[in-house]
Amino acid sequence: MNILTLLIFIPVLFGFIIMLLPSSMRNSFKYITLAATLIQLGIAIWIYLNFKTGANYGGINHEDQFQFVQKIPWIGLNLGSLGKMQIDYFVGIDGISITLLVMTSLVMVIATLASWEIKSNLKGFFLLFLLLDMAVIGVFCALDFFLFYMFYELMLLPLYFLIGMWGGARREYAAIKFFLYTLFGSVFMLLVMVGLYLSVTDPVTGSHTFNIVQMMNPANYSAGSVFSLASHQTILGMPARTVGFVVLFIAFAIKVPVVPLHTWLPDAHVEAPTPVSIILAGILLKIGGYGIIRICIGIFPEVATAHAFWLGLLGVISILYGAFNALAQRDLKRMIAYSSVSHMGFVLLGIASQTAEGISGAVMQMVSHGFLSTMLFFLVGVIYNRVHDRDIYHFRGLGTLMPKYTAFVMIAFFASLGLPGFSAFVAEAFTLAGVFKSHTDNGLLPYWMAICGTVGILLGAAYFLWTLQRMFFGQESLKGGSVWKIALTDINLREKLTLAPLAIIALALGIMPSLVFDKINDSVLTLIQFLHLK
Amino acid sequence: MHPLLPHITDHLTDIFGSLGYFIPEVYLGLLFLVVMITDVLFGKKSTSLCRTVACAGLLVVLFKDLQQVGITLNAQHFIFSNMLLLSPAAVWFKLVIDLLAFILLLYFTWDKKLASHKKGLSDLYTITIASIFGLHLMVMAVNLLSIYLAIEMVSIASYLMVAYRSENAFSTEAGLKYVLFGAASSAIMLYGISLLYGFGGSLDIVLQSTVTELLKVNPLSSFFAILLILVGIGFKLSFVPVHFWVPDVYQGAPTPVTAYLSTLPKIAAFALLVNFLPPFILLGKGTGFDLGILLSVAGIISMIAGNFAAVMQSNVKRMLAYSSIGHTGFALMAVVTFNQQGLSALTYYLLVYALANIGALVLATYFSNVADAEDMDGYKGLGLKYPVAAVCFTIIMISLTGLPVSAGFTGKVFVFSAVYGIYQQTHSIWLMLLMATGALTTVVSLFYYIKIPLNLFLKRAENQDIVYVKSYNSVILAVIISFALILLGVFPDFVLKYL
Repeated sequence: MNILTLLIFIPVLFGFIIMLLPSSMRNSFKYITLAATLIQLGIAIWIYLNFKTGANYGGINHEDQFQFVQKIPWIGLNLGSLGKMQIDYFVGIDGISITLLVMTSLVMVIATLASWEIKSNLKGFFLLFLLLDMAVIGVFCALDFFLFYMFYELMLLPLYFLIGMWGGARREYAAIKFFLYTLFGSVFMLLVMVGLYLSVTDPVTGSHTFNIVQMMNPANYSAGSVFSLASHQTILGMPARTVGFVVLFIAFAIKVPVVPLHTWLPDAHVEAPTPVSIILAGILLKIGGYGIIRICIGIFPEVATAHAFWLGLLGVISILYGAFNALAQRDLKRMIAYSSVSHMGFVLLGIASQTAEGISGAVMQMVSHGFLSTMLFFLVGVIYNRVHDRDIYHFRGLGTLMPKYTAFVMIAFFASLGLPGFSAFVAEAFTLAGVFKSHTDNGLLPYWMAICGTVGILLGAAYFLWTLQRMFFGQESLKGGSVWKIALTDINLREKLTLAPLAIIALALGIMPSLVFDKINDSVLTLIQFLHLK
Repeated sequence: MHPLLPHITDHLTDIFGSLGYFIPEVYLGLLFLVVMITDVLFGKKSTSLCRTVACAGLLVVLFKDLQQVGITLNAQHFIFSNMLLLSPAAVWFKLVIDLLAFILLLYFTWDKKLASHKKGLSDLYTITIASIFGLHLMVMAVNLLSIYLAIEMVSIASYLMVAYRSENAFSTEAGLKYVLFGAASSAIMLYGISLLYGFGGSLDIVLQSTVTELLKVNPLSSFFAILLILVGIGFKLSFVPVHFWVPDVYQGAPTPVTAYLSTLPKIAAFALLVNFLPPFILLGKGTGFDLGILLSVAGIISMIAGNFAAVMQSNVKRMLAYSSIGHTGFALMAVVTFNQQGLSALTYYLLVYALANIGALVLATYFSNVADAEDMDGYKGLGLKYPVAAVCFTIIMISLTGLPVSAGFTGKVFVFSAVYGIYQQTHSIWLMLLMATGALTTVVSLFYYIKIPLNLFLKRAENQDIVYVKSYNSVILAVIISFALILLGVFPDFVLKYL
């Protein structure tokens, strides 16, 4: 049994158990789910510890350098004149995926702990939760485009129901908006995917393949095919490869989300129940960033280089626009949702710089934001569960009322705004260093983008500190009066146990960024080398 | 006129020789008689007996179809003096049709409204078997005469089925509309056939000489004739602009009949179209009239019109009616490839579409039976009361939308790759537009398909004190269909490697 396959399908296994148990045992479902996610975390940590590093384990465009690989023929069809179709069950990881995989597994555990707040339809909730768990892990492991797409789309339906059935007041609207947005991106991705697979042949078997790694090698494109590098085909008058890149980029940019495709995010995050907000912010957004690195840039590197300026510009716009919006929000959860838009902008900016620092920073930012946004949304959930309100102006002086809670909030806020010593600082510093270097090194991004990024960090400090001042400092004054005062008890043991590891990790990654960088470095270097070959 | 007498022996040997390739149809003919006699002998109470006989008989026919797979493995046979063509594709289409017909025969009595018909359903079984015979002929017809006869046979049977039970003015109107439009389209088609016969000098469209003769005619007039015939076929396929009967008839007909109409005649008409087109594609190359463009335009408009109109519907059956127009448009995409891969993709796509559509209508029947729900509004909150049926409904809707992991998704991928393959060779802008429209309308279709899970699960029931009834047959069928759809979504090879 391949360890990655096990990691992917363990949730389904536990899902079956939950499905078979009668509803009278509904109180055990959350423990079963917790067991599933803990086992998953254990496996992920084992994989992390056994993950080999070195120049021979770079991955990216070298199929033999991926680790924990499993490759089984899945769908093979004879297409007559077009040759053979080859779809493999092909999973494997390199440095880009490994850290995200560990992050995902941990966030899943946290999300399960946050699910304690769910009171209705437990069976349905945990079944969908585990299905979603399988799909996100699958996305990070899949190296066959068809398999990737399957997992990618499989996330949508559980999320639709999770937001739609357990969400807030405007849940239906938020759920369908999210679903339509993402589907809009991915159906066109399907067209590009089919086009790619008909263009690419596996050099070993000679049949058309969905293998992502083979798609990165220009030699594998058959002459005259739509996406062939040499043949300069056009689609509706535009260069085919540019069209392909743009379509894939839009699909992933919706996920990231990049301004102006971000409008689903505040709605979905705000309406979703806490565990789903955690998964959305902690994991789903990273799938967008991961997809851009692995698929957009991997398959169409020369287009990415040619249009790096525009990618960087979109990143900068996301950073600033997200930050300004966060500054203007009254709803705490909405404020954090917009801060996600802003932080994910750094990922795009780092990727656009195409320097080792920039891409390392981008991956680091994804990992760091995964933990920090999880922590932030969990913290919002804590207060919302107690009084069912999260308007910033309805609270004041929480610092005296809930001192332990305030301590964790301060850690999360300071870590998120990029205080040195925490993970986000390292990530943002590397990203900006990459952008500065890009100007002199490869001339892709101008200096002012780095400056705008810095302004973004400044704005981040502004909205986090201002919120801290408004809600936690000063004289105690609550909108709900004494009723709220009784309801707002300090955090309990379960909540402490959930928050403490996140705070520790945020600190640990800030002090020892090598925990991430050591694992990703070879892959990032391979990617840079690959990009500069073109 | 040729002297007939010397040819009689030749004709007789041809007919006897052809009979060997006509076994399933012979059995169907016999089955028709047996069901009818059972009906007559046992009178009003014979419904369940007729049902048993019809289902058992159809299983035998299915078995006989399977035996034909072997005969056609390496060759195709023209039978009855080039009236019919038994090709591998035809055998597969027959298998698909018989399999779906078997499900439909089981399903007829589950619909309370249909089953409460005071005359019983025995006649309906007789009519259905006759129509299946017609469908078999449609799949194999390659002569203008046999094409017309087959279509008429199916049409007349469908007229009877649609009007079998008219519970209100709306469904009576639907029945009448269907007959009128059907008769008009047959007349138009017959006119086209007579013109084509006049131009080409033969009813046999596979014959090389027909095409050579047609090339001598003014292309405008020959294409006018072909267009008229396409109107007749299109009426059965229900692509835009000959789709106008669909919403009313689908909504007005008894639900199992809607399930029949939206699947079997459509599949057979696609098979017929695939047989009918090749000579005229050849003709088009000679004269500059491209049938491919014509069908592409029809496909694009059907996808857009069907899907956008479906968004606005609130009646479940009417929504499925419009969405079936959209699916026709999508399947036309596979037709315009005019190659073997396109044909396999088409067969697969139609099979999974039909399975899902039947499943959806079975569940529409189910919810109409148990909760008296016809509109989306009636579905509110039912998901938590009937979890199994509602989950199946969701899976079926996912498959109809074409999302992974479902058979509908793999169907879409295969159609796209068939079209892409041709696009790489021809760079025809129409193919690109078809694919882009197909992708775009998928998003649109999610919008209305998701309304069913939305109402089932996300909305709260307004009226809490309805008495809920239990019913199992339809749920079991729905579970089997959903399971099959997921299985085919993960392992499409199971079916596709044979096509």
